[in-house]
Amino acid sequence: MSPAAPSSGRVVAVTGACTYLGGELLRRLEEDPRYSKVLALDIRPPALAPGGKVEFIKVDLTQPTVDAELATLLSRYKVDTFVHGAFLSHPTHAAEWAHELEDVGTMHVLNACAGVPPRRLVMISTTLVYGAHPKNPNFLSEESELRGHRDSRFVNDKVRAEKQVQRFAREHADIEVCILRFAPILGPTISNMYTRFFSRPVAPVMMGHDPLMQFVHEQDAAFALTRAVEARCTGAFNIVGKGVLPYTTVLALLGRVPVPMPQIVARQLTKVLWATQLVGSPPSFLDFLLYLCVADGQKARRDPSLAFSPRLSIKRTILDFLGIAPEDGATDVARAQA
Amino acid sequence: MTDDDNDELEAPPRDEGNDDWYGDADPRVPDASGWPVRDLGFLGDDVYLGEEGHVPPEMGGSYVPSAPDVDSAELRELERRMEQHRTPVFPIDLRRRLPLEGVWRRWRALAMWGRSDVVDDFGRDPRATARWEWLFEFLYSRWFRVQASGLEHIPSRGRALLVANHAGSLPYDSAMVMHAVRRDHPARRDVRPLVEDTVFHLPFLGPIMNRIGGVRADPENAERLLLKDELVAVFPEGEKGMGKLWKDRYRLQRFGRGGFVKLALRTNAPIIPVAVVGAEEAAPMLGKVTWFAKNIGIPWIPVTPTFPWLGPAGLLPLPSKWYVQFGAPIDLGAAHGPAAAEDRLLVNKLAEQIRTQIQTMIEGLLSQRRSPVLSAFLG
Repeated sequence: MSPAAPSSGRVVAVTGACTYLGGELLRRLEEDPRYSKVLALDIRPPALAPGGKVEFIKVDLTQPTVDAELATLLSRYKVDTFVHGAFLSHPTHAAEWAHELEDVGTMHVLNACAGVPPRRLVMISTTLVYGAHPKNPNFLSEESELRGHRDSRFVNDKVRAEKQVQRFAREHADIEVCILRFAPILGPTISNMYTRFFSRPVAPVMMGHDPLMQFVHEQDAAFALTRAVEARCTGAFNIVGKGVLPYTTVLALLGRVPVPMPQIVARQLTKVLWATQLVGSPPSFLDFLLYLCVADGQKARRDPSLAFSPRLSIKRTILDFLGIAPEDGATDVARAQA
Repeated sequence: MTDDDNDELEAPPRDEGNDDWYGDADPRVPDASGWPVRDLGFLGDDVYLGEEGHVPPEMGGSYVPSAPDVDSAELRELERRMEQHRTPVFPIDLRRRLPLEGVWRRWRALAMWGRSDVVDDFGRDPRATARWEWLFEFLYSRWFRVQASGLEHIPSRGRALLVANHAGSLPYDSAMVMHAVRRDHPARRDVRPLVEDTVFHLPFLGPIMNRIGGVRADPENAERLLLKDELVAVFPEGEKGMGKLWKDRYRLQRFGRGGFVKLALRTNAPIIPVAVVGAEEAAPMLGKVTWFAKNIGIPWIPVTPTFPWLGPAGLLPLPSKWYVQFGAPIDLGAAHGPAAAEDRLLVNKLAEQIRTQIQTMIEGLLSQRRSPVLSAFLG
C-alpha cells in the first residue's frame, strides 16, 4: 500500500464496499471531483475497475485486532469521512459470525474512530430496528424507541450496533455522526431479504392481517447515502420512499400468489423451512407481515443540509423491481435523475 | 396519481418484441440490445460499451468514466467484467420473472381487482371504499333507517374533531357516523374514525376498517390527521363503551384520560359533539364472558339475545332505529390556547364538560322516542 497523501479534496473510507449501497457510493464518489481518495474496505474487492481514486483494502471486521488496523488506515490516509455500511442484507444461519460482524464490528469501527477521529461518521441502518409492533403509530419518527425484535438476531444485532453509535455520538460531540435508517430497499439490481422474499412466486399472508408497507427505491437510497456523505447533518434520519401500500396490494402488483394461513401454521411452517434453509427469512420476520413498521421521512426532507426527498413512488419502485417500464418508455431512474 | 395508472398492468408481453420491458430496454441489464455492442471476443457478447466507451450516468452506466482515452476506458470495463465474473451476481431476469408469463400477468390483473394501487398515508383505499359502499348504504338507509341532524355544524373544509358515544359489540356506530357525513353533508367529506386496538387488530375486520378509512387510535396518528386538515372521529369511551351492558345503555363511560381534549387544544381543532342513539339496541349486550375470551385474543365474548345462540349470524345487528345528532362546534383552542393542553386539571374539566353535553344530547334524542323498546325498533 502506498500512502498516497491527498493534496486536496476529501478522503472517504467505506466499510461494506461490496454491498449494494457501498458499491453505489463508490461509483458516485469516483465521479465527484470533490473527493480525492476513496478507501473501499471489505473482505473482497468491489466490482469496480481499479485505477481510479478508489483503493481496495482488505479489512475483515470480525478480526479481533481490526480496530488498530483501521486506526492506522485512518491516520495514514487522513480519512475525513467514515461510512460504516458493513451490515448483512439478509438473515443468516451463521448467527455468531453475524454478531461478530455487525455488533462487534461496529465496536471496532468506533474504537478506531475514537482513536483517530474523522470529521464525519455515517452509519447505514434500517427501519427494521423499530420493529413491527401492534402499538406502532402509522409513522415512526426518528425519536421512536428502537424495539428491535424479540427473537430476531438479524434485527437485534443492528439495534445493538446502532445504540453503540448513538452512545459514541453523545460522547464525541466533535464528530458529526449521522445514522441513515433505510426502509426496505427494492430495485432492479439490489439483492436483500425483501427482494428474495418477493422473488418467490408465492408469499405467505397472515390470515386476516394486512399491514401497510413501505419501500425505498435503490437509486433513491444510493442518492440519499451520497447526500449524507457530502452534507453536514447529524443524528438519525429515516430514508423512505414515497407512499405506502397494503401488503396484499404489494403482492398483487408483483403478481405473487398470496397464501393465507393462520399464524400458528405460518410460524411452524416457516420454522421448519428456515431450519432446512428453504426460505431466506426466519419466523420472526412474520411479525412484519402482521404489524406496521412504517417510518416517517419528514426529518430527512426538512433537514436543510440533507434535504432528501424520494423521487419514486412505492408503485414505481415495485414496477421497477419487476422490470416493467412506465408507458412512455423512459425508465423511472432516468426520469428521476432528469 | 390516478387510477388510470392501473392501465399499465396490461403492459404488452415481452415476447411480442415490445420495448416496455426492462430486459430489452434498460441498459443496466448487460444484454441490452439497444446499445452498440463491441465485439470483445472471449468475454462473450453481453459486454456493451457506448460509442466512446461511455454510458450516460443517468442510465446507470457510470462504471465507465467519460475519459477521452477510449483504450483505458475499455480496459477498465474489461477489468470490471472480469471482476463480475469472479463474483457472479444472481441474473436479474431469472430473479424477477416467473415462468408462464402470460398466466402471471393475467393473475396480476385479477389480483388488483377491487383495490387501487395508491392508498393514502393511513391506508385508505378509494376502490375498496367504493366496493363496500353498498353495504353501508344498505345499513344506513334500510337497516338502521338513520336520521342524521345537525350536519350543518360540520365545516366543509378544515380540521375538526368529532367526539361521539360508543356502543355495540362491533363498531357499526363509527361506520354510520362516517357514512352520514359522506352521504348527507354537502361537501361529502371523509371522516377518519379512530379505531381502538382490539378492533384494529381483529383478523379480517381490522384490515377492512383500515382500507375504508379507519386509523388505529393513537395520539400521534390523530395529531397527524388533524394537521392534514382531516375530519377525525373519536370515541373516547373506547373499549369501555363497547363493553357496556344492557342495563347501562346510554350512560356514558369515563372519557379516557382526556386525550381528545389535549389533541383539540394542540392542533387548534374545533370539537363537534356527536350523539348516536340506536346502537345500544342493535346489539344489546345482556352479559359478557371474559374468562375464555382472553385466550382467543379478544377482551370478552358478548352475550346478546342472538349471540352466541345463532352462531356467527348472531353478530348481525338488530334493525333498531338510529338517530345521529351533530352538535355545534366547540372551539377550545380559541378559548384556552394550545398551552392549556399541559394543564391536567383543565383538560379533565373540559373532557367532563363535553361528556355531559353529549349525555344531554342523548337524553334529548331518547325523550323523542315514545316507548323505550318498541320505538327503538319501529321508530
